[in-house]
Amino acid sequence: MIGFSKATHYAFFFNSIVYGRINEHLTRNLDTLYKCISTKDMNAESLLNESEPNEDLSKITPHFPNTFNLASYINHSEVLQNLLHIKVNLSKIETKPHLIDKLLKVNKEQLQKYVYFLKDYVSMDDLGNFITKNPMIFYESLDDLQIRINYLQSKNFTKSQIQRVVSKNPFWLMFSTTRIDRRLGYFQNRFNLSGNEVRELTTKQAKLITYNSQHIKTNTFVIREEMGFDDKELKKLILDKPKLLMINQLHLLERFKYIHNVMNIDHSSILRHPGVLLSRNFRVKQRHLYLKKLGRDQYDPKKANYIPLIALAEGTDIDFCKVYAKCDIYAFNTFLKTL
Amino acid sequence: MKLRDAASAYKALNGLVCIYKPTCVSVERVLHCIRTNLCRDLNGLPDRPGELRVAVEGPTNKPMTVKLVPNYADDPLVCGPRYIAEDIKCSWATHLGLFSSGVLLVGLNQGTKLTYLINTARLTRCYKISGLLGKATDTYFWNGKLIEKATIGHVTRPKIDEIVAHMQAAHQKTMFELSGVHMESQTMFDLASEGLIRPANSKLPVIYGLKCVAFDPPHFTLEVQAVNEYEKYLWTLIHDLGIQLKTAAHCTGVQCIRQGKFDVSLALLRKHWKLEHFIDNMDQCRIVLEEHEQLMRPESAILSG
Repeated sequence: MIGFSKATHYAFFFNSIVYGRINEHLTRNLDTLYKCISTKDMNAESLLNESEPNEDLSKITPHFPNTFNLASYINHSEVLQNLLHIKVNLSKIETKPHLIDKLLKVNKEQLQKYVYFLKDYVSMDDLGNFITKNPMIFYESLDDLQIRINYLQSKNFTKSQIQRVVSKNPFWLMFSTTRIDRRLGYFQNRFNLSGNEVRELTTKQAKLITYNSQHIKTNTFVIREEMGFDDKELKKLILDKPKLLMINQLHLLERFKYIHNVMNIDHSSILRHPGVLLSRNFRVKQRHLYLKKLGRDQYDPKKANYIPLIALAEGTDIDFCKVYAKCDIYAFNTFLKTL
Repeated sequence: MKLRDAASAYKALNGLVCIYKPTCVSVERVLHCIRTNLCRDLNGLPDRPGELRVAVEGPTNKPMTVKLVPNYADDPLVCGPRYIAEDIKCSWATHLGLFSSGVLLVGLNQGTKLTYLINTARLTRCYKISGLLGKATDTYFWNGKLIEKATIGHVTRPKIDEIVAHMQAAHQKTMFELSGVHMESQTMFDLASEGLIRPANSKLPVIYGLKCVAFDPPHFTLEVQAVNEYEKYLWTLIHDLGIQLKTAAHCTGVQCIRQGKFDVSLALLRKHWKLEHFIDNMDQCRIVLEEHEQLMRPESAILSG
């Protein structure tokens, strides 16, 4: 049951790249062999007689046909084996054939240099994931990478913060310092952040800074204009849950509409538990309906039997039933089967 | 049941499972979710030991060494995960519309043959349809545009019951008409004396039972037993009921609570769509199927079960 990934639809033509180096050494040997085959009868005895008896033929490989995936090369390619040892998921990279061509041209010394550089910022466990996500890192010059790290240091990011940013967002180092500077400047101006807050935001959700800027603008619009939070509240939301800017705008609005219009929760309560906007709508909906059925849907902290809003989104159903609904999980499951 | 390894778990995945389909999630999405969840769980189980390969090494002009070395090509990181979605065959027995919720029978691997049998056996399905009196929409469902408002003060439980009983009688009459036998013949009399009959083809919806189970104006709920029905047909039923009650109505929810002998208590909720639950559920479904084997291969037109 070996599953080949979708890449099998693409045929790769890179055997010449792997064997290119070997072939150079072998041309002479092959030439003698071809001569034997063409001039003499093709029996092994005559072949043996013609070729020099003491010559080492172990480097001659059989003809290698075009292949559909990297699995057929890995037993012969040291670079690929090294990548495997640091747990790079080659089957995932394979789904993008243009990356494979580039990856196969990387030599051992280059690989060593980059891994040596990256290990200061990415832990060994995350390194495989890092290269899986961003194999093109080998094509950025090491000086550039150092400059980009230096930039973060110049902006007073601590060492642990830099490590978190680089390992959480493998594409961070691909962005030039001017681009990163522009992005950080955008966030600082748009949301009125102080220097510390920018650093906090970047460390908390490093992907946000390099995210599609159009998407971020749309979600900011949704939160400000369609959901009706003002600039101060927006800033608090972003610093608390930066992911709100990265999720689908339609889902975000749908969740807000349910919580605000159907459950009648005001903006300040949502602001207290913004995590509720990150949970899929059906989860909030089914827990709310159950509480409503039990008569426990009381989300006002000033009154008795207060249920925090976040309880609708987080934790397992078992915990929810035990702590907030105060009922049996089976009763909750039976209720879910009536929806 | 304790799962030892992925291979034995995959072998156990042959049969029918009973799923609780949530509303606003299409059947295709449900099947996709089942497939990806199963692959995730199978790939998480202990894997078989890695393959070895025979390597003949050393220069050819000296004695060469033959040894067994690990085969890198067999590593899941190189050749991809052991189980992918395409490895799991998955099919539904009878379709449920996007806005319907409830019991959905799904066949996995060899079980896809069972879903075909269930589909052709045309098991009766039991629905709870909830409606709202006083408003009509252009799609007959809550997602449509409001096109009409009407008063509902005159609607009472006995009135609904009367009209519902009338509708049921009308449907039972058409059931005999659609059987293809002449209405005035002795054959028809013999057939009708046996009880309800199943439809001759899979195209025309037939309703066997219709009952109002809850009435709390403006909300009400009907319970329907039917064959060959589809989502939109059930919506129109509510719309027609509204017109006959001299008011307007639209449907607010369709829930399938039983299909044949598979009822909602057997169904797996969305949070339980995991490998171990599927295997448990498959065993339960197998017991139900063995107890009611005649349901799958009906021999006469008489409706049973």
